[in-house]
Amino acid sequence: MKSVKKPLDWHDPEVRALHDKIVHGSFINEGMMVAFPMCFPGVTVPIIADESRITALDATREGVIYGGTSGKRVHLFVGMFRADMGAVHDMGVVDGAEQCVAASCGPAGFAAFVNGPGGARIVSRELQRMPFSLIQEWGFTRKPFRYSAVPAGGERIVHAVTDPSGRRAFATTLKHLLAVEIETGAVEVVGELRGMGRLAVDARGAVLGFDEGDTLWRFDPAAKKLDRRAIALPDGDWAHAPKVWARRRGPGLLYTADGKGDIFALDEEGRFSGPLCRATLTPVGPMAVTHDGRVFGFCGDEISRMFCYDPDAGKVTDIGAAVSVIQRRRYGYVFGDAVVGRDGEIVFGEDDDSGHLWLYFPRIVEKTAKPARP
Amino acid sequence: MTDKPSSAYPVSWYQFTEHPESDSCWSLSVGPDGRIYAAACAEGSPGKSVKLVRYNEKTDALDYLFSLDQMVDDPADSGRATQCKIHYSFVPSMHDGVLYMATHLSGPPIDLPAYSPWGMWHDKERCFRGSALLAFDTRTDQVLWWDTMIPKEGCRCLLHDEERGLLYSLSYPRDHFFIYDIAKRKFRDVGRIGSVNAQALFLDRRHRVLTSNDDGRIVRYDPDKDRLETSPYILPHDPTYQTGWHSVLYDVAPSPDGECVYASTWIANPRLMRIWPNEGEWGRVEDLGPTTQARDLTLPLSTFVDHCGGLVFGGDGYLYYCASRWKEGQTDESPRDLGKGSINMWGIVHRLNPATLEREEVFELKRPGQAAQYVSRAAIDHNGDLFFAHVGPRPVGIFRVAMPADRKKPNAHLPIRMWG
Repeated sequence: MKSVKKPLDWHDPEVRALHDKIVHGSFINEGMMVAFPMCFPGVTVPIIADESRITALDATREGVIYGGTSGKRVHLFVGMFRADMGAVHDMGVVDGAEQCVAASCGPAGFAAFVNGPGGARIVSRELQRMPFSLIQEWGFTRKPFRYSAVPAGGERIVHAVTDPSGRRAFATTLKHLLAVEIETGAVEVVGELRGMGRLAVDARGAVLGFDEGDTLWRFDPAAKKLDRRAIALPDGDWAHAPKVWARRRGPGLLYTADGKGDIFALDEEGRFSGPLCRATLTPVGPMAVTHDGRVFGFCGDEISRMFCYDPDAGKVTDIGAAVSVIQRRRYGYVFGDAVVGRDGEIVFGEDDDSGHLWLYFPRIVEKTAKPARP
Repeated sequence: MTDKPSSAYPVSWYQFTEHPESDSCWSLSVGPDGRIYAAACAEGSPGKSVKLVRYNEKTDALDYLFSLDQMVDDPADSGRATQCKIHYSFVPSMHDGVLYMATHLSGPPIDLPAYSPWGMWHDKERCFRGSALLAFDTRTDQVLWWDTMIPKEGCRCLLHDEERGLLYSLSYPRDHFFIYDIAKRKFRDVGRIGSVNAQALFLDRRHRVLTSNDDGRIVRYDPDKDRLETSPYILPHDPTYQTGWHSVLYDVAPSPDGECVYASTWIANPRLMRIWPNEGEWGRVEDLGPTTQARDLTLPLSTFVDHCGGLVFGGDGYLYYCASRWKEGQTDESPRDLGKGSINMWGIVHRLNPATLEREEVFELKRPGQAAQYVSRAAIDHNGDLFFAHVGPRPVGIFRVAMPADRKKPNAHLPIRMWG
């Protein structure tokens, strides 16, 4: 940061500009963030503060957001922001659970992957039917959850990801790879490996995860074939890597980051490129790829900052610390997961007491004017 | 109906002349020795530190004890955000005569016009080092020890549970609830409350610590549960245009019998209330109504103009508090310049009878040549005289009010307030 010479002249425009830059420039400087409370505002109370740390998110194809919290207890919820909705519905508490590590949405069902003192479980139910209207009149029920045991005595779940069909999710535990039928909760062990970090699905539908020896394992769901050490990670600080992926919808590049904040891309052929850029802080947290290919994520601990990697421009931009002045007036400090909504907005789950769903609407890039057709 | 003229309450002004950059006095408390301590804070000037000040009744003047930056090894010219103030964070320790104090942030580094804890959080050269907790022995005037109580953040308010040897605090900017174990010299972060700090913590008979959140709900830490809980109700506010948002606790004075507290809120048109924390599951709150005048509700007005603070019990068992008054049309586009020159705002001290809840205006806090509408805290010394802390044009200072003989008593500061 540029400093000014003493003594400060408060009438100096440069001093005033620097003052304003320090004070106002700390926060989101492009796009718009909206923090939405974990409730139907004015109708229900939010999820209890220390039970509302949002750590898992997924979205249906229609852009309805499902997720789970961590803390004193786990709540599973659905966020409805389309049409005349505008509510988060608490679908209920998962008894005996303290951590939700992943959420998976299928066409008709939803599954959550939870850990607790008594072991891990997979919790599923059908998707929430959209109510008639959340401005006029509405009706909700809490449908019961189905609980599925995790093999090996409830071995701790590390992460899970939905396959492209939406019918199945794949989860890693401390020692196993599981396939889960989202609508029934049926669980099958499909491999043995040590779960490390988050999972991703590539453009061909293969499930990827971090493996030993700075590699990725690759599981082909169609062939039920697990390839250990299938893809070598590029040169980087993988010992300290956060083991995260940029969540995206549809084909395209997958992004991950190493311990230095360097961002790498994995293409559809399983080839890495990069480092493409370096995030402004470490560790790199949840990221997502919006429809135009830009990557948005948070980096840094305690008071994290949003960054944007624009592959067209080939550079990373510091977007600033999260703040919401619409719906809720709130600062956002730590985030647990990210998912892309229907229109390319990114939904971040706030992993904090009194966590909110943060909807980020990226800045629309101005198009170059084209001459009118004759 | 007042039974004494305002002249029965002679008011004296003590300016922080030895700290010309002091622009706010956020902390003013009675020490365990019955004397009055004040923080001469300098949050608006780059590279300045808070100084500890004590009223000397023998010389009828202020003694400047030390500059905090020097005592906690964090020099004001370090290039980091400075140890610029003590914010509602004096607490006494009665068994050993120690006055604990914790520092707060926002003063800019020496070469910058501003500091942002959000923007500079990850800047190793600029980021505030942390709230420094300092133990000052009022018997020997020695600093016994200091420690970093909240890394990288400031302490917005502090409370001492002396029976359990614990200090409770709220951090800024992240609004986390911290517990500091004095014997072990260790802190613990219990969790986040919200985005708008409450400005006070208070204690109930079960050693539960109460404060409030952004929505104006009580937040209570229960040591038995080791958990922060939120009240089902919202503290009193004006439903005409307020929702409870930002109606956080500002100043809280304990009733001498320890059964209830009186509190004001930190929002325009601050509300006065009485809280009985030991009753029922969530205590009982009595709305005692607004403390300041009606105004044009289409124009936002900040708490620098529309304000109530300085709640303190007098030796007569009545509650005294200062509420602002202003000339219609007063605005606050530049809060730091408020009160300079023409005086369009005033700090009016009220006296409330706890038995009947009747209140009366008893005197004005007059600062020579300047407005004195903003009072942060008040305290009563061992003689029964009242002191009020002022925030305004620099250098700021404090007021002393020599109370009428029939409204004071020896050791009037006891039982002592255990929070800032």
